[in-house]
Amino acid sequence: MPQNADNILDHENLFRQPEYVELFENKKRDFEFGHPVDKVKEIVEWTKTKDYQEKNFARDSLTVNPAKACQPLGAVFVANGFARTLSFVHGSQGCVAYYRSHFSRHFKEPTSCVSSSMTEDAAVFGGLNNMVDGLANTHSLYKPDMIAVSTTCMAEVIGDDLNAFIKTAKEKGSVPMDYDVPFAHTPAFVGSHITGYDNALLGILKHFWDGKADTAPKLERVPNESINFIGGFDGFVVGNMPEIRRIFKTMGIEHTLLCDPSDNWNTPTDGTYRMYDGGTTKQQVAEALNAKATIVFQQFSAEKTAKLIAEHGQEVVALNHPMGVAGTDQFLMALSRISGKPIPAELELERGRLVDAIADSQAHLHGKKYALYGDPDLMLGLTQFLLELGAEPTHVLSTNGDDKWAAKVQALFDASPFGKNCKVYPKRDLWHMRSLLFTEPVDFLIGNTYGKYLERDTGTPLIRLVFPIFDRHHYHRMPIWGYEGAMRVLVMLLDEFFESLDANTIIPGKTDYSYDIIR
Amino acid sequence: MGAPLNEKLQDVFSEPGCDKNQGKSDKERKKGCTKQLSPGAAAGGCAFDGAKIALQPIVDVAHLVHGPIACEGNSWDNRHALSSGATTYRTGFTTDISELDVIYGGEKRLYKAIKEIIDKYDPPAVFVYQTCVTALIGDDIEVVCKAAAKKFGKPVIPVNSPGFAGVKNLGNKLGGEALLDYVIGTAEPEYTTPYDINIIGEYNLSGELWQVKPLLDAMGVRVLACISGDARYQEVAYSHRAKAAMMVCSKAMINISRKMEERYGIPFFEGSFYGIGDVSDSLREIARLLVQQGAPDDIIARTEALIAAEEARAWARLEPYKARLKGKRVLLITGGVKSWSVVAALQEVGIEIVGTSVKKSTKEDKEKIKEIMGDEAHMIDDMPPREMYKMLKEARADIMLSGGRSQFVALKAKMPWLDINQERHHAFAGYEGMVKLVQELDKTLYNPVWDQVRLPAPWDVAAA
Repeated sequence: MPQNADNILDHENLFRQPEYVELFENKKRDFEFGHPVDKVKEIVEWTKTKDYQEKNFARDSLTVNPAKACQPLGAVFVANGFARTLSFVHGSQGCVAYYRSHFSRHFKEPTSCVSSSMTEDAAVFGGLNNMVDGLANTHSLYKPDMIAVSTTCMAEVIGDDLNAFIKTAKEKGSVPMDYDVPFAHTPAFVGSHITGYDNALLGILKHFWDGKADTAPKLERVPNESINFIGGFDGFVVGNMPEIRRIFKTMGIEHTLLCDPSDNWNTPTDGTYRMYDGGTTKQQVAEALNAKATIVFQQFSAEKTAKLIAEHGQEVVALNHPMGVAGTDQFLMALSRISGKPIPAELELERGRLVDAIADSQAHLHGKKYALYGDPDLMLGLTQFLLELGAEPTHVLSTNGDDKWAAKVQALFDASPFGKNCKVYPKRDLWHMRSLLFTEPVDFLIGNTYGKYLERDTGTPLIRLVFPIFDRHHYHRMPIWGYEGAMRVLVMLLDEFFESLDANTIIPGKTDYSYDIIR
Repeated sequence: MGAPLNEKLQDVFSEPGCDKNQGKSDKERKKGCTKQLSPGAAAGGCAFDGAKIALQPIVDVAHLVHGPIACEGNSWDNRHALSSGATTYRTGFTTDISELDVIYGGEKRLYKAIKEIIDKYDPPAVFVYQTCVTALIGDDIEVVCKAAAKKFGKPVIPVNSPGFAGVKNLGNKLGGEALLDYVIGTAEPEYTTPYDINIIGEYNLSGELWQVKPLLDAMGVRVLACISGDARYQEVAYSHRAKAAMMVCSKAMINISRKMEERYGIPFFEGSFYGIGDVSDSLREIARLLVQQGAPDDIIARTEALIAAEEARAWARLEPYKARLKGKRVLLITGGVKSWSVVAALQEVGIEIVGTSVKKSTKEDKEKIKEIMGDEAHMIDDMPPREMYKMLKEARADIMLSGGRSQFVALKAKMPWLDINQERHHAFAGYEGMVKLVQELDKTLYNPVWDQVRLPAPWDVAAA
């Protein structure tokens, strides 16, 4: 027996025992009848060629290994950023299970979210009853202060009208008439999770500012000196939001973070289960209307929301995930300009330290080639930072980035000598990336957990800086924004460089002549 | 300090091969070859460190440091001296003496440590390094080594260069003395050829020797021994059978070169593998010396052909950088042979040298600098970090080339910096190395972070 009680083998070793090896071989030979090994090898080799790449890039219907998720995922993210708010997804419950597991695997935290659990009869007769029952149950079971409704495709295809449904549900007594149920239509067949983020946040702001679906007077804007901050969909939100709060505080600026899930996804283990923790309160949302301006940290994550805010008379500063030295400079200077407050010495000191750290390590990242994929704004921020380091973001790919985004990336390339040989790939997937990594190899890949298959196939070391990260723990707890965050990103880039160098020089007596103590 | 060490010091101080020493009065000479250290001022490494770095590149021996943990604990395996085979030299061996050893003496522990090394590792030899503490308590490593060598039938070499004896450079020489006293001439090579040479004072840092060796191979020259880069104990032991020698790092091992000439009649010249012209000159000189020593003279034509081909190839590869590097001003903070050999190399691609440090350079080094840079040569004798900072701050240079310790001063003065000392990651020797140096220089100068480093925060600009 390969397994015995005295020495239990874990999976990665158990199946290497002779009994299993034989079993697998027999199965392959007697039951699978696959293609000959040589043929498989030949095709694998062919997938690495330019010829294959051309065919790959000519794909017009099939998406293989997408680097994006669906709208409701973004909507659930938003709901999690408001105080005592429960995310309610109108549609099939299977989708909702995905969102919960997706977030829980990434943040290592429970993620509360309910669904109206539509079934076959709902698909035929409409989901009104599910909405009525669903809101009633949610309200009585979980006692949230607010229920934020979004939709799955199922509800969208049959055309359920959320506004009318919620009204009817209230009339039927599911929840009190004056209970807050903001909503957003978030069909997965339009856009991606960043679109869902935008729609859900828009729904909440509209609800509170524009008369709560005609049940209350619209709010009048009385401008004050406060500044709103919208982060956008962000896998590092748990680390980033406290950093943003600290920056505002250091500068002495009154502020409101519109959608802040950093506490909800970072609850302590102290014996108390917190179904809701932290987040933006309803009162703060209402008062945010009066702010002097709103900073949208990720433009492509909040396009419609930004428009709504501007229409209400605020200045909106839309940024593209600014990071690194120049990026953070841009963010702080925007804050300083709007608030009229100087950038304090404390932050300038952090800036100096970051510049110092970059200079200390410049020789190692200079000229290194990177392939990166992920959400459009994050790609812009990373591209800018890499160029700043003298690295070359050779392939910048985004499944949910459009041509407008591509033009912005190209503009960054054009502004730096290091961008000369770099290319941007809008609306492409990870299988396209696979071809690129074979035909035009790079030194490092920046992506999410799904990038590990690319790492395995192409031998390109992966740096995990993109949501979701399932196979490494706690990265999301550290900020990647601000000068402090840039330091973290710098260290991650350097770590991977040094790890690769060590791995490449580690064979005793063969390559270890460069296996050095000092790097 | 025991009598033998005192004698050794006087011997090294009066090194006749060193002009600087010869220019001194007897009294001055007794004081030593470098300026006395001023207490309270930051200083470089000690004599122990000097001996250790000079000998550590001998790759197959065990280097055992007899002393408290500080000496080996802070220094093991930190020089990027590369090996093509054995890696014993990268293992840190120390007696790590304790309080009780200080009271009762550490000789027994040392003897046992030598035994354990021989039992476990069986290296061709053990080098035992004296340190301040063990010297002060009177441990006689020479006697222990002698006894151990006899008992175990294996060379056990005492390196008597405790830290307090003086500075690093002195230690280099004392390390050399240990080789002269105990190693060189103790074995015979299997065979000799008319083309056997020694390379002295080359440590194969980042594999520089390997950039040069293919050139020597092409000339048909055999490196009988390199002292001490990528060296095997046996090679050093039979190095006295070489026909000629090249001395690379002028100050460090002049005593080895001169004494081998004196004892075994091996003529030597001082050369450099940095810079295209210097590499060619060195190859020519090797060929000339070998012919002078009786080698067939067709080697001269062979060498010229090799030089012509390699120079053309290197120049072609440097061409694209010339336009980008022309007129860039470089400040060189290094020492010894590099103070002039790198100058010539950089001038070849149109770089201007605004200053070069001569702290660790000999009189010949300084003469060479004058020759290469003209009378306006800005020689910086000894530059404390504050002065260095000031000079960099005033932006009289575009980049500084130096060792790791000065790097961080340069950065604070917003100055690009390129490592050309032992901790560097690229080899700069030979034709290949010169191309690499220029590439690295270009990369460093054009890294975008320097714009960032030199500009104030943008909000400060707006305010000004």
